[in-house]
Amino acid sequence: MWRLANILLFVIVALAPSGLDSYVGVVGSPATEPALAIIVNHANPVENFSYEDLRKIFLGERSHWPNGRRITLVMLDPSQPERKVVLRDIYGMSEKDLNNHFIQGVFSGEVFVSPKTLANSADVLKFVFNVPGAIGYVLASDVDSSVKVLRVDGRLPDDKDYRFRLGARPGN
Amino acid sequence: MVAEHIAPMALLLVVAMLMAGSVRAQQASVLDSDKQTIELLVRRIDQLEARIAQLESGKSPASGATATAAASPPAEPARAAQEPPTEPSEPQRADLSKTLLNIRGFGDITFHRDTAKGEHFDPGIGTLTGNTTSFSLGQLDMFVTSDISDRFKFLSEIVFEAGLDNSFGVDVERYLLQYSPSDYFNVSVGRYHTAIGYYNTAYHHSTWLQTTTGRPFLFAFEDSGGILPIHNVGVSATGLIPSGGLGLHYVAEVGNGRSSSSPNVEAVQNRVDENSGKSFNLALYVRPSAVRGLQAGFSVYHDHLTPIGLPNISENIFAVHAVFIRPSFEWLNETLLVRHALNGTSRVFETPGFYTQLSKRFGSYRPYFRYQYVNASDVEPVFPQVGLMHGPSFGLRYDPSESVTLKLQYDYTDLRHQTPINGVATQLGFTF
Repeated sequence: MWRLANILLFVIVALAPSGLDSYVGVVGSPATEPALAIIVNHANPVENFSYEDLRKIFLGERSHWPNGRRITLVMLDPSQPERKVVLRDIYGMSEKDLNNHFIQGVFSGEVFVSPKTLANSADVLKFVFNVPGAIGYVLASDVDSSVKVLRVDGRLPDDKDYRFRLGARPGN
Repeated sequence: MVAEHIAPMALLLVVAMLMAGSVRAQQASVLDSDKQTIELLVRRIDQLEARIAQLESGKSPASGATATAAASPPAEPARAAQEPPTEPSEPQRADLSKTLLNIRGFGDITFHRDTAKGEHFDPGIGTLTGNTTSFSLGQLDMFVTSDISDRFKFLSEIVFEAGLDNSFGVDVERYLLQYSPSDYFNVSVGRYHTAIGYYNTAYHHSTWLQTTTGRPFLFAFEDSGGILPIHNVGVSATGLIPSGGLGLHYVAEVGNGRSSSSPNVEAVQNRVDENSGKSFNLALYVRPSAVRGLQAGFSVYHDHLTPIGLPNISENIFAVHAVFIRPSFEWLNETLLVRHALNGTSRVFETPGFYTQLSKRFGSYRPYFRYQYVNASDVEPVFPQVGLMHGPSFGLRYDPSESVTLKLQYDYTDLRHQTPINGVATQLGFTF
């Protein structure tokens, strides 16, 4: 039994992910890359989110805003480059993993509603403008005054150390 | 039509506000406030007029979400007046002509062979089987949900399954109305999977979601010879406990518990409880932000069983789990103890069990390993057929597409007083 346990321990150490956050959490991207803005409805009292809280919302682990309104997550179509940034920097998942995550989440009852998918930024802006509990993302250059841009860890898309930007990550 | 009613009402409201403003004209600060309100309402009227014009011209229909937006004025209404927003995809819940049902299906077909004699539990498929090489149709699982309203949801699993007599039967495995008012309190009423340990509420009836070809023996279904009250009928409450980065969650359940009067009766007490006592289950687990993918926790379950011909039994089930799951790596560990104490006697039967499961993904391939163990007394009063069972399983999961998976698994199972069993299973699982 001990022998088996030792073998198992060796296998686990060999297989375990080398970096706990290999996908996510890289801060300090070049400010020249287009930034992604996290947007909510103006009726939403939230102004700032920590990265961890934002991630929980995108994963469906949080279903309500602090004011009690249900969160409606809206994603761009898989063909859009902005979505790839969200998959890389927020989810740390591939498209297939994301699909499985929400199938399993809804199946287990932990995720109340799957994200909605829209074709382009204009649709996302309209959706977030219309739905008080909505949260989505668009390029910062596409944002207009109909929606509110959230700070993430106190930073806005124009700030130097903002997390979510198109283009390759340092070290990738 | 709705907007046509709203516009005159808004106008009346504006007039009323103007009148109220004139009465209080001497109070400058209040006047300023009213002026702002009037401006806001005038803008809203502009919006509504634009909306009416849009509706009359037969453009995109109104929706529930747009109506909601009208209740919460945006900060920049001028834009809305110029470009009335269309509602892209919010479901029209009030439209009775549209179904509210979302359906996803899961299924599997397995080809398996092992060296056992007679009817037995086959780890390769996680259920009871015969002793011949067979193609076996697995559970056809129809997972049906419905977003009844913002806070109510219906969820069910309807399973079509062939028994050892080859005839199909239908089981409603889950049947729940969920009420979700906040992240801290969600309540479900109906038939649910008991939150004992981790596996039971993570994978339910779909093999496609599972890495292996079948559930661990500890979490086998009641009608597959399992030792746990997998299903229960009652009330289940779940939620977050404010704990910062620790991510503490609770589950509290009250239900009918399992039947025990005879092994031949339906194990899940769907309609009539054989006694008035209720089962209780309390689970706590953490998902710390600092270690993504880690979940660890415990559960305590209690019920009172009333078997015919035996003293009543006090049943307690203690379970502990620690799992680490990332998209490309999985390590599941669970251990539990089922304790049956015969009332009025000193006889206590304790059945310990555990499993560990490890897998890592390489592209579309995921090799895996599982070792499982359970040790029940030969005279255990509730599940005397289980005995000692332990051994490893090795397998490979291959995902040729997002919705189809092919698994190959070898199982070696050591038994008390019996020859060990070698088994091989190939399973095609899918979702649709």
